[in-house]
Amino acid sequence: MMSEIKISLRRVGKINPLSIDDFIKEKGFEGFKKAITLAPDEVINWLEKSGLRGRGGAGFPTFIKQRSTATSCYTCEARYVVCNADEGEPGTFKDRFVMENDPFSVIEGMLIAGYAIGANYGFVYIRGEYYDSINKIKNAIQQAYEKGYLGKNILGSVFSFDMNVYLGAGSYLCGEELTLIESLEGKRGYPRIKPPFPAEKGLWNMPTLVNNVETFSHIPFILENRYENYASIGTAESKGTKLYCVSGHVKNPGVYELPMGTKLRELLFNVAGGMKEGFEFKGALLGGAAGTFVDESILDVPMAYENLKKQGATLGSGAVIVVDNKTNLKSMMQSILSFFKHESCGKCVPCRIGTTLLNERIQETKLSEEDLNWMLQQAEYMAKYSLCPLGQSPILPLKSVLTYFKKELV
Amino acid sequence: MKKVKITIDNKEIEAIEGANLLHTSRLNGFDIPGLCFHHRLTPTGACRLCVVKVEGMPGVVMSCTLTVKEGMKITAFDEELETARRHTLSYLLAEHNEEYDGTYYDEMMPLIERYGLASKGNRPIPAFWHNIPPVIDDTSPVLTYDSSKCIKCFRCIKACEEIQGKGVLSFAERGITKYIVAGYGKWGDSECDGCGECIQLCPTGAIVEKPNRERIQVQQIEKKVVTTCPYCGVGCQIEVWAKNNEIVRVNGLEGVLPNDGRLCVKGRFGYQYANSKKRLTHPMIKRNGTFEKVSWDEALDYVALKFNEIKQKYGNKALAGYSSAKCSNEENYLFQKFFRIAFGNNNIDYCTRLCHASTVTAMIKAFGDGAGSNSIEDFETTDCLIVIGNNIIETHPITATYVKRGKARGQKIIVIDPKWTPLVKYADIYLQPRLATDVALLNGMMYHVIQEGLVNESFIKERVDGGMDTFAQLKEVVMKYTPDVVEKITGVKTDIVKEAAIMYAKAPTAMIATGMGMSQQTVGTNNVFALIDLCLITGQIGRDRCGINPPRGQNNVQGATDVGASPVFYPGYIQVVNEENRRRIAQLWNVPFEQLEPNPGLTTLEIMDAAHDGRIKALYIMGENPVITDPNQLHTIEALQNLEFLVVQDIFETETSAYADVILPAASLFE
Repeated sequence: MMSEIKISLRRVGKINPLSIDDFIKEKGFEGFKKAITLAPDEVINWLEKSGLRGRGGAGFPTFIKQRSTATSCYTCEARYVVCNADEGEPGTFKDRFVMENDPFSVIEGMLIAGYAIGANYGFVYIRGEYYDSINKIKNAIQQAYEKGYLGKNILGSVFSFDMNVYLGAGSYLCGEELTLIESLEGKRGYPRIKPPFPAEKGLWNMPTLVNNVETFSHIPFILENRYENYASIGTAESKGTKLYCVSGHVKNPGVYELPMGTKLRELLFNVAGGMKEGFEFKGALLGGAAGTFVDESILDVPMAYENLKKQGATLGSGAVIVVDNKTNLKSMMQSILSFFKHESCGKCVPCRIGTTLLNERIQETKLSEEDLNWMLQQAEYMAKYSLCPLGQSPILPLKSVLTYFKKELV
Repeated sequence: MKKVKITIDNKEIEAIEGANLLHTSRLNGFDIPGLCFHHRLTPTGACRLCVVKVEGMPGVVMSCTLTVKEGMKITAFDEELETARRHTLSYLLAEHNEEYDGTYYDEMMPLIERYGLASKGNRPIPAFWHNIPPVIDDTSPVLTYDSSKCIKCFRCIKACEEIQGKGVLSFAERGITKYIVAGYGKWGDSECDGCGECIQLCPTGAIVEKPNRERIQVQQIEKKVVTTCPYCGVGCQIEVWAKNNEIVRVNGLEGVLPNDGRLCVKGRFGYQYANSKKRLTHPMIKRNGTFEKVSWDEALDYVALKFNEIKQKYGNKALAGYSSAKCSNEENYLFQKFFRIAFGNNNIDYCTRLCHASTVTAMIKAFGDGAGSNSIEDFETTDCLIVIGNNIIETHPITATYVKRGKARGQKIIVIDPKWTPLVKYADIYLQPRLATDVALLNGMMYHVIQEGLVNESFIKERVDGGMDTFAQLKEVVMKYTPDVVEKITGVKTDIVKEAAIMYAKAPTAMIATGMGMSQQTVGTNNVFALIDLCLITGQIGRDRCGINPPRGQNNVQGATDVGASPVFYPGYIQVVNEENRRRIAQLWNVPFEQLEPNPGLTTLEIMDAAHDGRIKALYIMGENPVITDPNQLHTIEALQNLEFLVVQDIFETETSAYADVILPAASLFE
């Protein structure tokens, strides 16, 4: 069942993304105006009741992150809101779509979050290659300052908020929240040891909230339309809509906003128009390189965090890379493993050497059963002992490709 | 430092709350492996060997990243952990060139042995390090970097940044091919100053010392001796390695003050002089313009004969001596005792006259004590530090590491110097007065202290002689140094003078470090008096982490005066002119009271002047080189040539020994 409700993409095609006046005409900043009539913690309560989960890939309940950032360290002199717009996961292009079409919604989301957690500074960390997004966000910030939606005492309230844009420089790892914080501080992108988590010690050791672009774009809607409206969309544990990124040999690849729990069959064969002429559906890689392969057995599983998890799959960022009958899966795995090796920062032993070993082995012309088992063993060791999610990821595509498509690799 | 109880592998141990868990475990006999951890650095969590299980925490955790908390229950060793550690080591072996030439300590080798990976057949992961082109950087004069041995543990980077505060090293590239770079490229072109901290901390042979590498085998060092470095007043503790009676390496000694393993390039690499072929080995007497080697008996007989001759012909006061800031307390004590008893005068002095003697004089008059009021560690923990006329990063590198760490903790630094020094980069305020306008500047600062109501009256009343009356006298003078007057004299803008004064006065604790910029002036003593006044009116002295310090230049310039190498003080800073003191000393030395000269002697500069006009006829110089160090070289040379007899005792021939009549070879500290 396809719903007409759009949240992240509700203004696409209706506004000029460079015009704050257009944004305001389309209920722009209504969510923020509502938020400042509530006590900050009440705003977080609304997020709790809405069931909003982080859209970066981990699906962590947003209210928990925000509450712990709000309440940690009473003596800290500053708190920060950071928007993770690094969008490095292969197959993912939704954040870019939001920033290019409705950049103001991201700002509004950050304003509300800032208010809720008691932060007065926000940073948008944008992937350096996203020139259009960078320009549009910068323009949005500037116009927001001009119209008094950023700066001191916004709309006459006691709340002040300043924002700035910071650019990434070609590191996948800088999309991981703790590494992003290192990069924002001007340092080289190495992941920090956790704990402590950013909510406790983030930017310059101050409590920091890091959320994804899509997550921020949902927050104004929740405040504007009340949490019940948001919670009425989606599944039992995954509320609201999701931006699904469909790529591969389908008729209409692109970004689609659908209720959480939309089935893969619906997404691919209805919304994305089905396979192109001459291509047959074989499966999909869900969630990107750090994601899981699925085959047709998953077509009727609702694409939500809990449902997919039960099937041993991940929703992740919402990337859906469609695999067809002509796809060379070994080649695809080579691509994925060489990606991990390339992006490994090299700090910890399991990942630095592990990604090198996996990449080397997958290049072998002939892979035996032993080779594949050996690779699985290395990936399992890496998943348990690596310092950060990069090293912990190769097990996901590796295990799932062997579950569903082993004969294509041997 | 709260003591708590934790459990490791079911054994209850007492530990300090907040201490590093890995370090604590090891101290208690749990030899958890680790390669990237070092207790002098912040934890990294890169090697993954120190993995443990903690009750209540999911999965596994790196023990180096945890601190001790009451009631922690840790599993340090079980089959799963040991298997994982072995796997991690086998990963490291795959990327590591384990060729070992015995010239360094390798921390990986014992671990390889311990986990049964010594034999190549036992290794689950095939080596691939030979497929990665190695980066070998041999351009530094003191070390070699070999990336094939590097395990990317971050220790050298952190050592350079956290311990030495220099931050020269970093990684180039990313992932498996990354390697260490100094600066932007070649080590030799970088800002690396050769302190060798990275060498000492590298766990493999990636960074190894160059000097003597071809001769060293670390397992075959005959002698390892702990001693004090002779290069400056910091007094770092070093461990000297000797082989075949030659020094082959020097390491910083860990776990002891003041350096805890740190050294500078001088201490670490400046030992080659000890075994130089140019060392003086024989006594020599100048005959017909050339030096002839003689026996000790002949030399000493001759020296004694000549000194006695001159003493009888011209009297006691015609002899003088230079003691040495580079000799031990015992040697300096003996020298001054010998002088006072055998020569019967007080014409004994040394290079301090050209250095901190002015500081010491002022401090003794004001405090009764001429030595710095703080320990070197206080340079890190004090809240505000004024460094005036002192290029501390270059002259006292180890003290400077404490300052840099203090800065990292939020310490405020004020640098006052007419010329730029590297410390200015770390300074919160930099005052650059015109030459010789220091008293005006300091009086100007005191003016602001008074105007802003920051005078510590209770301190003055309780601790300063004459209390507020004395202060009133100072105030009368200082209030004339109004901002306009000060700006006109010193050229420094009023707002930063005021800011500096307030910063210093308001700081909970504050220290001053004063150097040659202040003391090597004809008004040096007055300069220091001005500094002392600043301390006294703000009460920034006589308390923990407060005070004034002359970082001393030579290794024993402080000690030499302490033990009496001075024309006006006996050992212990008791005045020569005081009769009671003379009686005491005479009794201690078991000599007749009348033998001790009651008048103060000549200072080094006065000695040279007196030699020039013929009042001093004989000079005995120990470990000093006045032809270079005294002002007006021509004058000094003429003075020396005018002497009837000159004895120089040194380890090398010097510009001064060229004018000697007798040269006596000395032992260096290593002998």
